Amino acid sequence: MRTDFFKKPLDFPSEEMIYENLAYFGGKAILPEDNRKTNFPYITKEDIMQMLISIQHEPNKVIDEFANKYRGYVGANYAIPTASGTSSLHLALVGAGVQPGDEVIIPNFTFIATAQAVVAAKAIPVFTDIDPKTYCMDVTQVEELITSKTKAIMPVHVHGLPADLPQLQEICYKHGIKLVEDASHAHSASIDNKVCGSIGDAAGQSLMADKNFPVGGEGGIAFFKKEEDYNRALEFLDASGIDYRMSWIAAAFGISQLERLPYYDKVRARNAQFLSDALEETDLFIPPYVPEGYRHSYNMYRIKLNPAAKGLEDLEDYKVKEAIQRIIMEEGIFAREWQNRPIPGHLPFKNQKGFGNQYPFSLSEVNRKYKVSDYPQTLDMFRNTLTICRELRSPIEYERIQSYALAFKKIDQNPDMIRKVVEEIGELELPYEKDARLG
Amino acid sequence: MDKKKQFQISFVLSRVLNSGIIMSIEKNEKEINGLEKLVAQITKLSYVSVFNSYTGALHGALNGKDIVHGDFVTLSNTSENEQKFLNWLGVFNLNNNETDAFDRISVSWDNISDFEKVLLNHSTVVVDLTDLGFGPCAVVATDEKSVWEKSERLKIFGAFDLRTMWTQEESHPDIQPGIQFNYRVSPLVAACAKVSLIKRGVAVEN
Ligand SMILES: Cc1ncc(COP(=O)(O)O)c(C=O)c1O
Repeated sequence: MRTDFFKKPLDFPSEEMIYENLAYFGGKAILPEDNRKTNFPYITKEDIMQMLISIQHEPNKVIDEFANKYRGYVGANYAIPTASGTSSLHLALVGAGVQPGDEVIIPNFTFIATAQAVVAAKAIPVFTDIDPKTYCMDVTQVEELITSKTKAIMPVHVHGLPADLPQLQEICYKHGIKLVEDASHAHSASIDNKVCGSIGDAAGQSLMADKNFPVGGEGGIAFFKKEEDYNRALEFLDASGIDYRMSWIAAAFGISQLERLPYYDKVRARNAQFLSDALEETDLFIPPYVPEGYRHSYNMYRIKLNPAAKGLEDLEDYKVKEAIQRIIMEEGIFAREWQNRPIPGHLPFKNQKGFGNQYPFSLSEVNRKYKVSDYPQTLDMFRNTLTICRELRSPIEYERIQSYALAFKKIDQNPDMIRKVVEEIGELELPYEKDARLG
Repeated sequence: MDKKKQFQISFVLSRVLNSGIIMSIEKNEKEINGLEKLVAQITKLSYVSVFNSYTGALHGALNGKDIVHGDFVTLSNTSENEQKFLNWLGVFNLNNNETDAFDRISVSWDNISDFEKVLLNHSTVVVDLTDLGFGPCAVVATDEKSVWEKSERLKIFGAFDLRTMWTQEESHPDIQPGIQFNYRVSPLVAACAKVSLIKRGVAVEN
């Protein structure tokens, strides 16, 4: 029988491990090779039971039940469940009133779907750089990008940290434009206890398998504050004929998983705090920054490197990053790149083919050349950060999060070895000179 | 769905749920791949790409045939919905003027046992599986590799994006993506469609 049950428990790690040889150089790895996988979401008898119940109901009833329950959890006024996060963003934008040829301001650092959703709405994406502390949209760049064509700002709560919505909301009020959230990384994340997805005029959110609230492979949901915007999205669905519907199977899985979401969130928050506390004790690693009143959902956990603190500032930062990545992988901890190139540098925004024959880019009066060099803060981030994804998203055991912490501490003990690996690496392409990887 | 089919589908869903990670972009994902192989067998068309809706697959087939915004297509007897969708894509339908650019067929429990019979001599077909009742799901099946490539390219994290993910080198710089959608189907939906097409409408207990 195929099963996802882990049969092998992880041994208790010990502080001594820090002083052992790096696995990269033949020492014992902190996490044994056959015990590195994590499991998320937990799929239990409750999920099977819910499936057995839902199969007997009308599909639409199952989908409505899911959408209403989750809408209530988020605290949004209206919701449209969808087949994907991308389609939910498309609907959120259209609902907010985005029309062909309009401009939508988004961060350059996100998943490509944020920008493709703008193109799907037949609008033109206009990109900002990021705030190097939060990695979210740099709010100070937004106003100068607003033109008479700007219809909406769509920040991304990237990695799960809410973007600076209070400031963005003020800008939106001032210019009479809409605030649309890409809440795909930010399930249960909040600002002053207001949950992401319920704060802007509209929001889109992915519920696909790599998210904190996965509903069985693929899914999404769009939220709206005003009935008028919600109705506009529904009218668009009718007028375009597009089938963006969620499957009842995904909805059924979502119903049972929603009960467990607070548990996942709690364990993840606790683990992230544990790791952040441990990284604070190192010189080389800087944990994610979380502003007062903000709740991070840690869909991803991005760690900043500080080579100068270890006398490694004479080396190229991206080579130090590469060396550390190689070393920590050997210890059994997957800290890696997530994205390597600003979205405006991805093929669809370089060629601007759009739906074909350059539509909708052809609607723009400005000939926009998207250049990666316009986003220096993002390029910097690609050079000097590493990200833990699924391996921290999962509700991992205490032994495991302890092991992660020890691995970082072990590397922190070994700046000379990092230097050695950098020398071994020799020539290396910059991350953003390689072809774009989507994840 | 009748009771026997419900049982069968429940069993399939339980089995897939029990197997762990349910992810369309997982390297060794089995359900979507399995569905693609099966449709290829049934239709005798070598290349198959699964979509999360009929409109998605329609878009895929158009893209596969290089019919994009501002272009013309011939598709006869289109439904109101199909026509709306073509309008939205900016593709003009010449209706019954020429031979159809490709074929379209909907599979339901009524024709599941032999729908391929009407598909003789066709090189590209959009097969809608939505009426089976698992949620929106459709496929593009073709014997032209380039049609498959260009329809697959339309998917965010389709086969091409996944490859680049691991190699960080575009394998097909000649077919660059423009607009892309998340047209990926859930493996749970694919698993149900797959077992239905294996049993061809005959409910077998287990
Ligand atoms: C920030 C962001 N926006 C949008 C999406 C698109 O969601 P989906 O893959 O469900 O279409 C994703 C994830 O895939 C994402 O990470």
